[in-house]
Amino acid sequence: MQPAAAPPAQVGGGARHLDVAAVSKSYRGQKVIDRLDFEASRGELVSLLGPSGCGKTTLLRLIAGLVSADGGDIAIGGRSVTRTPAHRRNVSVVFQNYALFPHLNVRDNVAFGLRARGREIGARVDDALALVRMGAFADRAVAALSGGQQQRVAVARALVVEPDLLLLDEPFSALDRKLRETMQVELKTLLWARAITAVFVTHDQDEALAVSSRIAVMNAGRIEQYAAPGALYDRPATPFALDFVGLSTRIAGRARRRDGEAVEIETPYGIVRAPRPGTAPAEGAPVLIGVRPERIALADAEAAPDENRIAVRLADVMALGSRTHLHGAAEADDRLLCELPGMAQTVAPGAEVTLRWRVADTLLYPL
Amino acid sequence: MNAENRIALLAAPGLLYLAALYALPLALLLTESLRDAEGALSLAAYVEFFADPFNRGVLWRTLRVAALTTLLALALAYPTALALSRARGWAQTAILVAMVLPLSVGVIVKAFAWSILFRANGAINGALMGLGVIDAPIRMLFTETALIIGAANVFLPFMVLPIYAVMRQLSPALPEAAATLGAGPFFRFFRVTLPLTLPGVIAGAAFTFSLSVSMYVIPSLIVGERQQTLSMLIARSFLFLRDEQLGATISAILLLIAIAVVLGSSWLAARVTGGRP
Ligand SMILES: Nc1ncnc2c1ncn2[C@@H]1O[C@H](COP(=O)(O)OP(=O)(O)OP(=O)(O)O)[C@@H](O)[C@H]1O
Ligand SMILES: [Mg+2]
Repeated sequence: MQPAAAPPAQVGGGARHLDVAAVSKSYRGQKVIDRLDFEASRGELVSLLGPSGCGKTTLLRLIAGLVSADGGDIAIGGRSVTRTPAHRRNVSVVFQNYALFPHLNVRDNVAFGLRARGREIGARVDDALALVRMGAFADRAVAALSGGQQQRVAVARALVVEPDLLLLDEPFSALDRKLRETMQVELKTLLWARAITAVFVTHDQDEALAVSSRIAVMNAGRIEQYAAPGALYDRPATPFALDFVGLSTRIAGRARRRDGEAVEIETPYGIVRAPRPGTAPAEGAPVLIGVRPERIALADAEAAPDENRIAVRLADVMALGSRTHLHGAAEADDRLLCELPGMAQTVAPGAEVTLRWRVADTLLYPL
Repeated sequence: MNAENRIALLAAPGLLYLAALYALPLALLLTESLRDAEGALSLAAYVEFFADPFNRGVLWRTLRVAALTTLLALALAYPTALALSRARGWAQTAILVAMVLPLSVGVIVKAFAWSILFRANGAINGALMGLGVIDAPIRMLFTETALIIGAANVFLPFMVLPIYAVMRQLSPALPEAAATLGAGPFFRFFRVTLPLTLPGVIAGAAFTFSLSVSMYVIPSLIVGERQQTLSMLIARSFLFLRDEQLGATISAILLLIAIAVVLGSSWLAARVTGGRP
């Protein structure tokens, strides 16, 4: 294994290498991509994360030129490619099912892009295969490869043409977890080492958190939030992002009154306070509270002034090895989840406990 | 006996049926062709057949017509199959119906319809003369060209359907992948779509060629006695000349052509798929 390369110097904020501006796409009158804005800096690996059917593949196909947009503009390297056909965009795609050419062997699959462009092949194909550690398989038929091997060939085939942009559509979804994690590290290292700009589609949040410098959370043809993994996890911008990335405790309530820097919220479990947002909710307005489960602990002694505490009865205790999940008995759509490190053997289902977390860790959303 | 071998038993009734009604009579014909006047084993009948320039001419015409019919059918069928595989909904149904429906109209009906169209005082000549393109009617019936055009028409579905069957299996992601790798429409077609649909082309060509080589009704109706083909020669030997040995000999030659087509096409198909399923 090669040593992990350093992350690119600029994470966002740099010159926009890929710039998708107000792009829309409808299928039979149904909006699949809705005035969507998206960008990536040179050398950056960004993820598109979203539920099935939210338009991730469609967005990739728009960027690759495999479908044309109904409106908006797509630019790569500062040049608009909206009217450029796919074969002149120099955007490589690793398809979800790899789409290797079954009538060509591994070497000819990788050489395809060079031949199509009339470029010299020379040692490039062998270099590309060596890069993905598939050199020994050059003369194999692609049907005689495992899923992981096919994936590597697909990556080699996409990289050998030195694309301006690499798009990957859930490339690891067919692999088992262990292989998937290995491939994630390999891909990340490889792209960083060559400073290749890449967009990585996944609906696996752990994968998105693991590989990318920024994550775009997609929902129903729009991007709900575009942020670095840490910021996305700590400060999800919408209830959708809160739910889709990571686990959370979520409680519906009503805003009561402002109390200095905090807002008081009335919930079925008592009063909870949250930091005051830019525009504080009106009194009586319905709101949603979110807390990351590892920010929550079991209360022992005195309440600190900057803490929230609620008393709950435990509905379930799940020991997960390195951590334990406590599920509180919750109302309606609420979820009360507390994550404790290690194997907590002191609590059992049915126990009455008090959960506590810092006011600063409380996320507040208007409903 | 393992499961796969037992499955093969399902073919037994069909094979027995073929053996009784195809292989056996053909074997009898073949032995007939290999006898001389005294009944001893001999190739004399074949030597005699090939010695006659008329016979060689008929054989050559039969092969030429079959090859050209196959080519014409292929040229028409490939784009049709492509359209069929890309079309959706009613458009696809319409093409399929247009392909298959003419099969239910007998060859005889078609041939008479064509003769109305093509004859000296027919619709085409009438139109051309009316437009002043030609002064005198051109002869279209009873020509080899008319035969090829007619045969390609009748056999078109047998070319379209095998190509379509393979083409619909072709994942649209493959030409798309080729496009993202920088391949323009021509490169995509000749390096991806065509090679991957060649098995269908080979199967369709083998069907069409076999059918064209042995066709009897179409040439009888379109070109008549003027330009004989092997099948017409066989019929004439049996029915008019009462020369069973000549008929058997030509039948054996036709059978050899058929075997060559089957073996050749399977060999080609195995080559282009390179062992792929
Ligand atoms: N060619 C098409 N014709 C009609 N509708 C389409 C077409 N392609 C996609 N859609 C629709 O557009 C929506 C978004 O599809 P898309 O494939 O982009 O989703 P996705 O986010 O990639 O989902 P998944 O995670 O399941 O791959 C879906 O509702 C889908 O049914
Ligand atoms: Mg998809």
